[in-house]
Amino acid sequence: MPKLIIDDQEIEVASGTKVIQAAEQLGIMIPRFCYHPALGSVGACRVCAVKLLEGRLKGVQMSCMIDAQDGMVVSTTDEEAVDFRTHVIEWLMLNHPHDCPVCDEGGHCLLQDMTVSGGHGIRRYLGKKRTYQDQYLGPLIRHEMNRCIHCYRCSRFYQEFCGYRDLGALQSANRTYFGRFQDGILDSPFTGNLSDICPTGVYTDKPSRFRGRRWDYQRSPSLCIHCCLGCHTIATGRYREIVRQEARFSEAVNGHFICDRGRYGFFYANHEARPRRARVAGDEVSYDQALQALKAKLAEISKRSGPGAIACVSSDRSSLETQAVLKRIGRMRGWRNFSGFMPQGLAQKVQLAVARLEPALSVSLRELEGADFIVVVGADPINEAPMLALALRQARRKGAAIAVIDPRPIALPFDFQHVAMVPGAISLGLGLLARGSPDEAAIEKLGPPVSDFYAALPTPEVMNASDQKRLSPLIRDLRSSRRPVIVCGTAVGPATVVGLAADWALLLQAVGKKAGLFYLLPGANAFSAGILSDPEDTFEKTVEGIENGSIKALMLVENNPFWQFPDRARLEQALARLDLLVVLDYLNSAAAQQAHIFLPTATLYEIGGLFVNQEGRVQAAQRAHSGGIPIAQSGGGGHPPRIYGAGVPGAEPRPAWRTLAELVEEVVPPDEARMQSEVGVWLAEEDPRFADLPPFAELPEDGARLNHKRDGASRFLVNWTAELQKSRGFDDSFELLAVDWTFGTEELAVYSACLKALERKPGLLMHPDDAGRLGLTDGDEVAMQLDRGTLKVPVGVVANMAPGVIVLPRHRLLEWQRLACGRIRLERDRIRKAASPQGPKP
Amino acid sequence: MATAWESVRALASGFATTFKHLWRPPITEEYPEYKRPLPVRSRARIILTRDPDGAERCVACYLCSAVCPVSCISMQATESEDGRRYAAWFRINFARCIYCGFCEEACPTSAIQLTPDFENCQRDILKLVYEKQDLLVDHQGKDKEYNFYKYAGVATDVGAKGAHHREEKPVNIRSNLP
Repeated sequence: MPKLIIDDQEIEVASGTKVIQAAEQLGIMIPRFCYHPALGSVGACRVCAVKLLEGRLKGVQMSCMIDAQDGMVVSTTDEEAVDFRTHVIEWLMLNHPHDCPVCDEGGHCLLQDMTVSGGHGIRRYLGKKRTYQDQYLGPLIRHEMNRCIHCYRCSRFYQEFCGYRDLGALQSANRTYFGRFQDGILDSPFTGNLSDICPTGVYTDKPSRFRGRRWDYQRSPSLCIHCCLGCHTIATGRYREIVRQEARFSEAVNGHFICDRGRYGFFYANHEARPRRARVAGDEVSYDQALQALKAKLAEISKRSGPGAIACVSSDRSSLETQAVLKRIGRMRGWRNFSGFMPQGLAQKVQLAVARLEPALSVSLRELEGADFIVVVGADPINEAPMLALALRQARRKGAAIAVIDPRPIALPFDFQHVAMVPGAISLGLGLLARGSPDEAAIEKLGPPVSDFYAALPTPEVMNASDQKRLSPLIRDLRSSRRPVIVCGTAVGPATVVGLAADWALLLQAVGKKAGLFYLLPGANAFSAGILSDPEDTFEKTVEGIENGSIKALMLVENNPFWQFPDRARLEQALARLDLLVVLDYLNSAAAQQAHIFLPTATLYEIGGLFVNQEGRVQAAQRAHSGGIPIAQSGGGGHPPRIYGAGVPGAEPRPAWRTLAELVEEVVPPDEARMQSEVGVWLAEEDPRFADLPPFAELPEDGARLNHKRDGASRFLVNWTAELQKSRGFDDSFELLAVDWTFGTEELAVYSACLKALERKPGLLMHPDDAGRLGLTDGDEVAMQLDRGTLKVPVGVVANMAPGVIVLPRHRLLEWQRLACGRIRLERDRIRKAASPQGPKP
Repeated sequence: MATAWESVRALASGFATTFKHLWRPPITEEYPEYKRPLPVRSRARIILTRDPDGAERCVACYLCSAVCPVSCISMQATESEDGRRYAAWFRINFARCIYCGFCEEACPTSAIQLTPDFENCQRDILKLVYEKQDLLVDHQGKDKEYNFYKYAGVATDVGAKGAHHREEKPVNIRSNLP
């Protein structure tokens, strides 16, 4: 622990700390361009110069390159160091163009700040400026290379941190160029971060281009709700709309960066088609009229058919407040409630994951980066939760071995071992790994139930030779690891995998490893939906209830079953049977358009809200603006309307929880300030896991983890005979997996026009062996006889997936919702080459 | 005795001055019948000028609205086909403006300028809210020469990369030869 003096203040820091970090701990910000805490030091920009007065090293040195040492005396204000820095700025500005007024970085530009604070105002150099041609880098990032100061942050971030290769440094010396070899859309799904890390305006945010300056923006801490990770963002409001979203640093969750889906997925909140008026039977009415109509209708149905004929369904994109109020009023009125999970199997898996995630096992996304062995089972990180892939890459960079057991074609920006197995075999593979991982002697000592669990684990003989061969190197790595983490998805594997992952992590902990468990869930607030849902009451059951006439009224709260429910025809028939369909939403969804009574709700950006991420971390988002029709829309592109009046036009949407609370007289709708504390009390009554949370208004920046209930009874229970049955797959037919992709399958982000250009062309993916047997080649168009009709799709033949499995993205451009509920088996003869082969490779 | 004499003389000279003024022509200017030409630097009604080529000078950089002490300027920047940044709309609320001239000082393109035209009263306050078409004029105002895009270095209709004031030809990224 070296002790040093910086500007007359003494500080003791951990060894290996750079002087620039030590100064930051004292609150002294040494200027920097190339240094970034996530990217480390390279000493490229020379602007962090300080003078070392005492110690082994003396003179002007780069503070980002020098480790803090005992006895060091550092001056950041020494005349020589200041003069050095001033000159460096002047050099960096030699070629910098005179375009700050038309540059979007102006106002939050590090180079601008340093130039002004360094006192460099008038250009002394009168020679010619170096120029570059710019490139087209896709719909998200605008390139303006003249502004570059060659700090290398972009290429270090893009290549080293993210692991993509198509953007980097070209040319040499003073002509160094950062870009692609050719113009084109960037490969990485993390490109938006380039605009955050570039210290000047080389990479600027394209969707928010010219929308305003930093000082005019209403910026507030928010959360990403486009997957379950709950990354921290800063939402930026301007003229009644969200114009931009940036990454917000979080020590526990996302670090410094976010993915492009999270960054640019916000456009649903400004969408022109967003419903802002309440509707009854298709006619726009006032909010109060609609609410009264809804109350009357609910009372009537309740009287006629009993309160059990009313079902309320929330979703995993609803805030915790909304879920809690719905649960509470449903309980008070005796309505059926409440689960946002579409298929039965998924609900089971989520509830199991929520129950099994013990505090001792749970790791955060950032803790995952410190693991030395990671098994990803039944999860596709880059497509389901892109930031997970980035965290895995950081672990890989530190030397972790990473294996993915999943039937889908997995692409990750680092080298990893992919064991492609049919979904049914995943638990077997996992069991096999668990069997090989610890020392048998150590297990014997532990006694039951651990030893019984271990003894029941499958032995290698049950698995075919090729899978065995692929798993055996993993077992070797696992044995030598000290901090293994199991990342377990809920999308494709059987429910057993979820429990088995927890059991295995417990087993590894029992033999002395610092094992961790990391679940992936299907949505932003799936964790709390999993806690608050009745295991027996999923949406599939609700549809059954409508079909058999026991449910007469359905209230969908921020839920659009048309997006997720696999059987659209069945859903349409069921909804048509209802006496009353109520939709509360901020999207103009298919369900909203069919609703008998529709009430508009406000988005996360207008009211804030609490969300629980996949590790049970309760996090708060604050409002970024107070709603209303964006001025860009009400002005029709020109100046704002010349009408003056009290109130904000189009501000009718209210928080869903408020509308729900107003439905029930006994619940006094609390004001927004009191809402969160009331919800805290209700939630604590609902489930003890919510009891130990701090008051929501006092949540720390990184949120607070729920106190998971330890349920020892559910541990170490796997029926291996059943698993062996499942693992065989279907001999004569395919198992069809409907999966998520990074872009094009997430409901909210598909409203963003800028992300549409990044979508891959959707198609059916299959293994070359299967394609060969069917006589198909890559790019062929096939007609699939699904349970509810024929689907024509192009075929992609990919080698890195499991044979016997076909993968279909739940893409907005595909009419994939012709599937039965549950596990889908498709005989081989139901896939045939379509008459006219066409279309490029998907 | 001397003091008394001085007092009388002071009184007399005072009255003499008054008496003289009785016979001088009046200096009162009969406004509005007579309008005195004001110096060009006088600060009153604000205009948005054009560059010598006739294009809008304003690049909607938001500096004037940032510096405005009474927040009477608002705008929305946008981009034209040829790469120019300009104001989609630009609004000054003259009911609020205090004619301090900070906007003119902040303007990096000499677009926003104050003019001597101070006769700017209205009975309807909404008529004091000027939109871009009310502000935009067809001349250069006080700065006859400046064209921002000739110096800025961004590619527009005024010049491609390397074609602006004191610029090298763009670097060829496909060759390492000097």
